[in-house]
Amino acid sequence: MTDSFTLFQAAILLYVAGAILGLLSRNTSLTRTITFLPPTVASVLLVIFSSSIIISGKSFQFVAPGTLSFFNFEILVDGISAFFILIIGIVSFAVSLYSIGYSKEYEIKKRTSALVFLFNIFILSMVLVVASNNAFFFLVFWELMSLTSFFLVIYDHDKEENLKSGMTYLVMTHLGTTFIFASFLLGYIQTGSFSFDSFRHGSAGFPLLVKNLVFVFAFIGFGTKAGMVPLHVWLPKAHPSAPSNVSALMSAVMIKIGIYGMIRTIFDFSGFGASPDFAWWGMLLIVFGSASAIVGVLYAVVERDIKRALAFSSIENIGIILVGLGLSIVFTSFQLTAFAVLALVASMYHAINHAFFKGLLFMGAGSVVSVTHTKNIEHLGGLVKQMPWTSLLFLIGAISISGLPPFNGFISEWFTMQSLLSSYHIPSTILQISIAFASLPFALTIGIAAATFVKLFAMTFLSKARSKHAINIKEVSRSMILGMSILAAACVLFGVVPYLGTSLISTAFHLSSQPSSPFDSISIQNNSGKSFANLSMPVVVIIISSVSVAIFGFIRVLGGDTKKTTYGTWDCGFGGLNERMEYTPTSLSQPMRAVFKVFFKPHNQTEKESFGENPYLLKSIKIETVIKNIFEETFYAPIISSFVFFFDKVRRLQTGKINAYLLYIMITLVLLLLFVRLSNNV
Amino acid sequence: MYNIATLVVGLIQVLVMLALAPLLTGIIRKTKARTQKRIGASILQPYYDLLKLVQKDEVVSDQTSWIFRACPWVNFAAMATAAFFIPVFLVYTPFGLVGDLLLVIGLFALGRFFTMLAGLDVASSFGGLGSSREMMISALLEPALFLSIFVVAITYGGTNLSTTIEASSISSFLPHPQIIFAAIGLFIIILGETGRLPFDNPATHLELTMVHETMILEYSGKSLALMEWSQSIKQIILFTLMVNIFVPWGISSSILLPSLAVGFFMFAGKISLFGIFVAFLESSVAKWRLFRIPDLIAIAIATSMIGIVLCYL
Repeated sequence: MTDSFTLFQAAILLYVAGAILGLLSRNTSLTRTITFLPPTVASVLLVIFSSSIIISGKSFQFVAPGTLSFFNFEILVDGISAFFILIIGIVSFAVSLYSIGYSKEYEIKKRTSALVFLFNIFILSMVLVVASNNAFFFLVFWELMSLTSFFLVIYDHDKEENLKSGMTYLVMTHLGTTFIFASFLLGYIQTGSFSFDSFRHGSAGFPLLVKNLVFVFAFIGFGTKAGMVPLHVWLPKAHPSAPSNVSALMSAVMIKIGIYGMIRTIFDFSGFGASPDFAWWGMLLIVFGSASAIVGVLYAVVERDIKRALAFSSIENIGIILVGLGLSIVFTSFQLTAFAVLALVASMYHAINHAFFKGLLFMGAGSVVSVTHTKNIEHLGGLVKQMPWTSLLFLIGAISISGLPPFNGFISEWFTMQSLLSSYHIPSTILQISIAFASLPFALTIGIAAATFVKLFAMTFLSKARSKHAINIKEVSRSMILGMSILAAACVLFGVVPYLGTSLISTAFHLSSQPSSPFDSISIQNNSGKSFANLSMPVVVIIISSVSVAIFGFIRVLGGDTKKTTYGTWDCGFGGLNERMEYTPTSLSQPMRAVFKVFFKPHNQTEKESFGENPYLLKSIKIETVIKNIFEETFYAPIISSFVFFFDKVRRLQTGKINAYLLYIMITLVLLLLFVRLSNNV
Repeated sequence: MYNIATLVVGLIQVLVMLALAPLLTGIIRKTKARTQKRIGASILQPYYDLLKLVQKDEVVSDQTSWIFRACPWVNFAAMATAAFFIPVFLVYTPFGLVGDLLLVIGLFALGRFFTMLAGLDVASSFGGLGSSREMMISALLEPALFLSIFVVAITYGGTNLSTTIEASSISSFLPHPQIIFAAIGLFIIILGETGRLPFDNPATHLELTMVHETMILEYSGKSLALMEWSQSIKQIILFTLMVNIFVPWGISSSILLPSLAVGFFMFAGKISLFGIFVAFLESSVAKWRLFRIPDLIAIAIATSMIGIVLCYL
C-alpha cells in the first residue's frame, strides 16, 4: 500500500517536475536530454506501479476528504485502471526516449519548452483521468487532457491548416465531454453523490431507462474521444497536425482513454447486468465498431499523407476494439460467461496491441517526416537503404497492424474472429445472423488493412525515391531508434508469447485465466466438448524457424553454391527506367478507389493544354483525383450550415442601436414580471 | 492420441504436401495442354524446373533491398508452416493443437504481404501493377474466405481442422444444406487465392492479364524456385482443404497401416480429380476483366451469407 502510494506520488511529482523543468529550460542538446528524463523515469515508475497492482490483485485507494466543499479528491487504481496505466506507462516510456532525439527538429524553429511542458502535463492528465474515482475530478482531468492535447495539436501554429484541425478537435472533444457530463449527472441525480463508489454501489438499482440513458450518453461521449464513426472527424485532422511524438501518444494512448471510460461506465456505473435487456448495448457497439473499422480503413488505403493514413487506421482499430467489447456485452447479457471473457480478452488485447504498434508506427512516420520534411508519400520512396533501422522497425509495426502471424496484431484479431464465430451460442436467431453479417465488414477491414500497410511501407521505404526529399538523408538519432525498438520488441513479444497478454488481461480484469503456461495452447471448446480452435504461437514460431532452417539447408544441398549478380531491373530492353515510371501511391490504390467508388465518389478532373490546333499534341496535362469525404459533406456540413443560418438570424437582434437594446430590456422585464406574477398565484 | 506414431504420421503428411505440390501443378498443366489439343510437358516437369532453377545463378536488381531477397524464404516458410495444420489422409494432425484454419489464412496473408512488397521493391512498373491488383483482390477475398469459414466452423464445430474434418467425415452433408453454399463460395475463393482463371492467368506473360507473375518477374534462380514451389504448396493446401472438408470420403480415421494406405490413395485420387476439374474449368473460361473480379467475389460472399442464414434457420 505505502509502496505503491510512494511510486504513484513519485511518478506524478516527476511529471510535474518535468513540466516545470521544460518551462525553465533553454534550447540546447543537453537540456533536451535532461528535460525528457523526468517523464522517462516517471513512466518506468508507472509501469512498476501498475504491474504491482495487477499482480497483487489489490487495488490502490486514496481519499483526501474535503478537498473541495462538495467533492472529495478520490483516487482508485484497480485492475482495470492499472491495465490502462500500464499502457500509458509503456508507451510514454518509449515516446519520451524518442522525444529526446525528435524534439531537436523543433529547436531550430521554436522553443521546445512549451512542448516539454505540455507533453508532461498531457501524460500526467491521462494517468489521473484513469486513476480518478470521482466524477468531478475525472472531468477536470479529462478537460486538462483535452486542452493540453489541443495545444499540442496547434503547436505548429504557423500553419493555418493546423489551427483549423485544432478548432475541429476542440469543438468535437467538448461535444463529447458534454455527453460524459450528462451521463455522470444522471448518476448523481440517482445517487446524490459524485463519487464513483456511490455510482458503483447504486447503479444496480437505477430504473432501466436511466441505465440505458447512462449508457447512451457515455457511449457518445467516450466514443467521440475514441474516434468512433461518425464522431471521428476530428481524429484524422488532429493527430497528423501534432508533432509526431504527441501523435504517437494521442493515437496509441489517448483514444484508449475513451475506451477506458466506456468500459468503466458500462461495467461499473450503468447497472449493466446479465440480462437480455442489455443485449442491444452490445449490438450498438458492434454496429458502430464495424462501421468505424471499415470507414477508417477505406480512407486509410487511399490516403497519401503518411500520418493521416495512420490516424485513419486508428479509427479502424478502435472499431475492432469496439466489436470485441460489444460481443463481450452481448455474451454477458445472455450469461455466456466463457465467451464474454474470450471477447473481452480479444478487445483488451487489441487495445494494448494497438497502443504498441500505433505508437511505433507514428514514431516511425515522425522519423521519416523529420528527415524528409514531407508527410506526402508521393514524394518519398527508397528510404530503406538510407534508414535501415527505421525501415525495419516500421516494417515490424506494419506487419503487426496488418494482423499477420507471428506478430501481436494476429493474436488479437484471432481472438476477435473466434469471438465472432462463438456468436452461434447466442440463443437468438436474429442476433446470431446480425453478428455473422457484422463479421463481413470486419474481415474486409483486415484484408484492406494489409493492403494499406503494404502501400504505406512500400511507398515510403521501397523502390526509387520519387523526389529530392528522399535523397541524401541520414538515419535518425539513436534515442529515436531506441524508443521505437522498445515498442517493436513489445509487438514481437506479445505476438510470440500470447500468454503474456492473456494472463495480463485476465489478472487485471479478474477473469478466469486461459492458457496456464507460455507453451500451453489457447483452446476453445465447442458444444460436444471437442476442440473448437487451438493456437499456440510459441510452437508456431518454432515450426517457422525450423522450416526456414531446413529449407535453407535443403536448397543449399540441392542447388550447391550459386552466384548472385547485381544488374538493373528488367526494363523490357528499352533502357532508362526511372522513378517516373514506377507506381505511385495514388496509382497503387486506384483499383481500391474503383471498387469502392460508391463510397469514395472519386472525381477525376483533366486539364489539357495542347500546341495549336491539334488536340493530340499536348504541351501539358494535369489530372486531379479528388475523393469525397461523405461524413463531412453529408453529415456535418448540414449541421454546421444550419447553425450558421440560425445564428445569422440571431445576429439581426444585435442592431447596435441603444433604443433597440432598451426595448429588449423592457420586454424581458415585462416577461419576467409576468412570470413571477403567474407562478405566485399557485 | 499423443504418441510418437501420430507425430510421425503428422510429419509425413507435411512432407507429402511439400513433395506432391509440384506434381499437382504438373497434372493441372498436362490436363490443360490436353484440352487444348497439345501433348504438353510431362507431369513431372515442375520438378525438373525446380531442380534446374536451384542450380542456376541469380540476377538481382540493383534497386532492391533485403526485403526482396528475404521474400522467397518468408513466403516458403509461411506456406510450409501452413502445411503442418492440414489433415491430409488422416483426420487427425497432432499440430491441430498448435494452430487452426485462421492461422493458415494468416500465414497465407503473411506470404502475400511480402510478395506484394517484393513486387514494389524492384521499382519497375510491372511489379507495382501486380501488387496493386493483388492488393485489391486479396482485400476482397479476405471477407469471402472468412464467411465461408464461418459456415464450415459453425456446422462442423470448429476452426480446428482436425475437429472440422472429423465431423465432416462422420456426417453426411445432406442435413447441412449450408455446406453446399460454403463449398461454392470456397471454390471461387480458391480459384482467386491460387491465381487461376478467371482471376489471373498463371500461364500468361502479358502485362494486361498478369497479377501474380508480375510480382515475381524479377526473381531468378533459387529465389524463383522457392517462389514457384511455395505457390504450388499454397495451391495443394487449398485444394486439400476443399476435398477434405467437403468430400472427406476415404480419409483414414486411425493410424493403422491399411487404413492409412487407403486414405493416402483416396487423397491422391481425389486431389488429382479436383486438379483435373479445375484444369477443365480453366480451359473453358476466359480471364475476366480486372474490374469484373469483384462481382465474382461478391458471388462468393453472397453464397456464404446464404450459408450462414441457413445455419441458423
